[in-house]
Amino acid sequence: MIPCTDFIPAYSELFKFLEERGGRRAVVDFWEYLSDNFLGNLRELAKEHGIRGCWLYWSHTLNEEAADFTMELDEDAGEFRILMHKCPSKGLLMGLSHVEPYHDYCGHCDVLYRRVLEPLGFECIADMSECDKARCSFRVRRRKN
Amino acid sequence: MPKEVMRRQASDNVYLHRDFHGALSTGIEYLHTKFGEQAVRDYVRQFTNSFYAPLKEDIRKRGLGALKEHFQKVYEQEGGRVSFTLSEDELVMKVEACPAVTHMRQHGYAVARLFFETTRTVCEALCEDTSFEAQLLEYDHATGRSVVRFSRRRP
Repeated sequence: MIPCTDFIPAYSELFKFLEERGGRRAVVDFWEYLSDNFLGNLRELAKEHGIRGCWLYWSHTLNEEAADFTMELDEDAGEFRILMHKCPSKGLLMGLSHVEPYHDYCGHCDVLYRRVLEPLGFECIADMSECDKARCSFRVRRRKN
Repeated sequence: MPKEVMRRQASDNVYLHRDFHGALSTGIEYLHTKFGEQAVRDYVRQFTNSFYAPLKEDIRKRGLGALKEHFQKVYEQEGGRVSFTLSEDELVMKVEACPAVTHMRQHGYAVARLFFETTRTVCEALCEDTSFEAQLLEYDHATGRSVVRFSRRRP
């Protein structure tokens, strides 16, 4: 068995494997597949609870992932924001001396979540400019008509 | 409604996100569908040889005890029931139910058709370039119950 604590390196190696087989397109195709087939819980929560669904989804995942983060929900403004002070996944990969992380490891987050939330009427703004320090932010806003 | 804020540091929680098993299973099913069975085995083997390189080095130095310690820790961490029979030349590992399969079945995640390769190919690849070999003797797809035998290679 591959323990869930070793999943992140397995995930990163899968991106590398896919890129070797089919180039960047194969990696993005997989991210889209994963979004469609694995993130049903985020989709259902956002459908049922609106912007609060994001809060409910990430309250579960970020705590189980032992992330260092600040999460904000402003339902009146229709806004949700994650400030990732230290991403546990990227931090783990950066701490490995014997394995090189996939060069665009952080790219999956934007593709996965945007693909779920935008069709439900939300706008997603990701700032990955500090990914190399395991820091990022992800903002979700109710789209104004 | 007032703004809600949640602030957490890494030390506030234990790192154990079992839903990752579902994501790995989804990845395996994707590889199987798009690239075929052999691609799944190639990927799991490549990952094992790369990420578990320090463990493989430990197996070369310390033998089957290193494998036992690794899997004991893995199953303890995930709450799996496992028993070991260890001698100098053989280690038999019996897992009553795979914690990954149990979690996926309980939470409605699809279990990939080739999910058992995370047991078979991982164990085989851990033994590559060592004095040992691995054989998956039993595997139950419904529960992930398995029996793996690691033994010294015959010359």
